[in-house]
Amino acid sequence: MGDKRTGNAGIYPAVGTWADTLAPILLLLALLLTTIGFVLSFIWAPPVYGASVNGVEVIGGQVVSNVLLISQKIFYFHMPVAITSFLALVAAAFFAVRFLMTREARFDTMSRVCMEIALVFVIMTMATGVMWTRFEWGVWWTWEPRLTTYFILMLIVIGYFILRNAIDDPERRAVYAAVLAIIAFVDTPICFMITRLVPSSIHPVVLRQGGGMGVSMIVPLLMIMFGMVMLGFALYRLRLRSIVLEQKCDALTETLEDQRESA
Amino acid sequence: MGFFEQYRVLLRKDLTREFRSKEMLSSMGIYALLVLVVYGAALSQTSKGLDILQMSGGLIWALIVFTSMLGLNRSFAFEKEQGCLEGILLAPIDRSTIFLSKATSNCLFLLVVELITVPLFAFFFLGGVTLAPSWPLIVFPLLLGSIGIAGVGTLLSTITLETRGKDVLLAVLFVPLLFPLVYACVAATTGCMVGSEGFMTTYLRSLLLAGGYDIIMLSLSWALYDFVISA
Repeated sequence: MGDKRTGNAGIYPAVGTWADTLAPILLLLALLLTTIGFVLSFIWAPPVYGASVNGVEVIGGQVVSNVLLISQKIFYFHMPVAITSFLALVAAAFFAVRFLMTREARFDTMSRVCMEIALVFVIMTMATGVMWTRFEWGVWWTWEPRLTTYFILMLIVIGYFILRNAIDDPERRAVYAAVLAIIAFVDTPICFMITRLVPSSIHPVVLRQGGGMGVSMIVPLLMIMFGMVMLGFALYRLRLRSIVLEQKCDALTETLEDQRESA
Repeated sequence: MGFFEQYRVLLRKDLTREFRSKEMLSSMGIYALLVLVVYGAALSQTSKGLDILQMSGGLIWALIVFTSMLGLNRSFAFEKEQGCLEGILLAPIDRSTIFLSKATSNCLFLLVVELITVPLFAFFFLGGVTLAPSWPLIVFPLLLGSIGIAGVGTLLSTITLETRGKDVLLAVLFVPLLFPLVYACVAATTGCMVGSEGFMTTYLRSLLLAGGYDIIMLSLSWALYDFVISA
């Protein structure tokens, strides 16, 4: 680990290890798994009855009483993506803690890359979530606990990058970003708990009656879930590697410029 | 000097400064008044039958969130301008003591502003409605909310102190992180002001959740403050 030439152990994350050999393979595997999973979710998993509506209602320009919902297929994308985004956030907080403990710049880079992955997956979760509410609950937006929590989480993650961009000193930027990553990690579950536990008479509680999933639903779901987690990990490694190359390149350019100036 | 001695000295410094300049209190107070004026325009076209009572908890908290942001932005700017912060950091004082004293003073200023603006809100908007007899209970959500806002806000205003465009950045970080607390406090405030049947369950549970938020986020901010102020 660390660059022998400059003797900067701890500045760059270790790249080129088994994880990076694995990353492209995982990426391919993830593509395969998610694609097959999606196809299966359409052709194998049975259609699901939508949340029961009182009488007949018009949802999305369609008269609905109790229909077989094709929109339920969103779930096969939505949930794996949401879980991956959460895992990325956990990893970002973990590396943030490691950074504050060791003050090694590589943990800051790793935490940041995890946050980037988290942002991508959080935005995908939000997009599918909003589609879900539209077709399942008949509105584009409702301040429902899960939706609210993810919206807030998205704002915090965006705020994380705004904060990073607003600080020039790399050391200070790393510390502040790490602190924010940890706070975000703690704040998110609290947000979910509070929006869920505070009783409210205004929000409609829509629950599917008689849940449970058969094998034909669980298998595609698990396939997509593993696929998405692999995808997240592969993206993380690839991004990390490109950033390390970029950092090393910058450092080299700087050294060369210094040499030219002194010469 | 022990912990309490240091804490008292730092707190007294903040209070004395504010007592002399009245900079934060006056700007926060005027800002709050202006928000109330905007409320007046915003609600001017609503029908007489509108149940303002149901909205009042939310309106009060919107007022507090925006006003507190203004104060938090100022709270460290002053120290920075006069080079006071460097002096404090040079002194052999535990970093967490700085956090506690600053959070306390921010909380006190916020409470003073609330003491003025909440009655003003009632004066402007709640004249024609009868409050539930349980309305004095609004003190507790206000207290818990102010503690949480001051605690998390102190950490965030320290973070944003050294950044470009710090006013906007504070809002960007402050509002999402404070969201759960505001959510719980609005529920408790509205509950005790409307006083509908069985509101006590909502009220107590919201207060409990707000208290939990305060304890967790304050200890976290307190623990992380050392890193932030030393960076």
